[in-house]
Amino acid sequence: MLLLPLLLALEFGEGDADLVRRLQRRDPRAMAELYDRYGRMVYALIVRVVRDGGVAEDLAQETFMRVWNRVQAFDAARGGLLPWMLAVARHRAIDYLRSAAGRMRNAVELTATDHPALFADMERTLLDSDRLRRVRTALEKLSENHRTVIELAYFEGLSQTEMAERMGQPLGTVKTWVRAALKNLRDDLGTAVTA
Amino acid sequence: MSCEELRDSYALYALGIVEDPEASEIREHLDRNCPVCVPGVRGARELMTQIGATAPAAEPPARLRRRVLAIPGGGRAARWNWSPVWAAIAAGALLAAFFFNARAHRAAAQLGRAEASLRRLQSESAARNRELARLNAALAILNQPGVKQVVFGGATPQPPRGRVFLDPAHGVLLLASNLPPAPPGKIYEMWVIPKAKGSRPLPAGLFQAAGDWTALHLLQGPVDVAGTAAVAVTLEPAAGAQTPHLPPVFAAPL
Repeated sequence: MLLLPLLLALEFGEGDADLVRRLQRRDPRAMAELYDRYGRMVYALIVRVVRDGGVAEDLAQETFMRVWNRVQAFDAARGGLLPWMLAVARHRAIDYLRSAAGRMRNAVELTATDHPALFADMERTLLDSDRLRRVRTALEKLSENHRTVIELAYFEGLSQTEMAERMGQPLGTVKTWVRAALKNLRDDLGTAVTA
Repeated sequence: MSCEELRDSYALYALGIVEDPEASEIREHLDRNCPVCVPGVRGARELMTQIGATAPAAEPPARLRRRVLAIPGGGRAARWNWSPVWAAIAAGALLAAFFFNARAHRAAAQLGRAEASLRRLQSESAARNRELARLNAALAILNQPGVKQVVFGGATPQPPRGRVFLDPAHGVLLLASNLPPAPPGKIYEMWVIPKAKGSRPLPAGLFQAAGDWTALHLLQGPVDVAGTAAVAVTLEPAAGAQTPHLPPVFAAPL
């Protein structure tokens, strides 16, 4: 699991605003610092999605390039750098899976949902080890079908129709599982998740 | 749609799997900076971020760092001082690249066509397997000794009519005829209506009628037959609904 990289990320987390400002001033040393803080988390998430180290390396580089190119739109004072980077990484990886499988549906939707402003005001403690332990436990407590639909949606970017095909289940059943799984996660995580 | 109606779709939106009409409704609420939906969707994004952070650790290769550090220097190649010899070599390499690229394109096109055929065959095979699994599950319900059978619409000459079979351990099977295909953008949704006062109808899956106006729909899993008052079908938006829109297309009281 990502405990060590997370602890390192939190250790450095206080300085994200300063790091973002230096990235916005196009300071090359800031890029090294950004990679040293979050490179391993970004790479780990992409590997989990594409399950190929070589492809993950290319997509991780693309992720950092996208962050470098779009960092001007990021509000340093409002935080949310790591959540934004993980969203960009996930979207790059899922776009890769979709294009490799000839599935381009929803690609625009994903691209539209990783604008840096959408991650402003996310609390810094969002990814602390206690929170993540609770999330992990909540995921483990889900039934196998419920956990599978969440993983297929998050890590493979499948639509509900594609999940139904993959699992050999009626679409209505899959939709019921997805909603029930998300409700169970919300109930289990309580105030840690506001919606 | 109201914020309350959209609330259950925030997480689906953050996952990227919400469908219309909820998807466009949420976008509209976010575009006008809705004070309920903006924090709601942000909370759902937080959950998704946390799920992403549960990925198993993986150590990136050392060269990835070098590749990332090269990003700020991108585009400086134009400063290089090309000598005529190097330029000639580059031109030769370009010609060779064009030649091999054309061959590669032809091979890629053939490969693409073969992959498309394979995907189509896999899709057809998966569809047949799903239909077979569905029919097996339907037969399993019909074969249960304690299955409860309800006939609906039998007394009227108008559509639809058919039977509902309920088995406590295996689920609910609906067989209908004279059921026209749902209009564009709509879908049929089955509901299990509990006897208990104040209980809400339970959504039991979406289905479409076939071209010959028949339908077979299954809800697999345990069902409280003794506590069920009726099984009903309503016409809903294509994404389905969490509460039925009345009146029902038909109902089969137990």
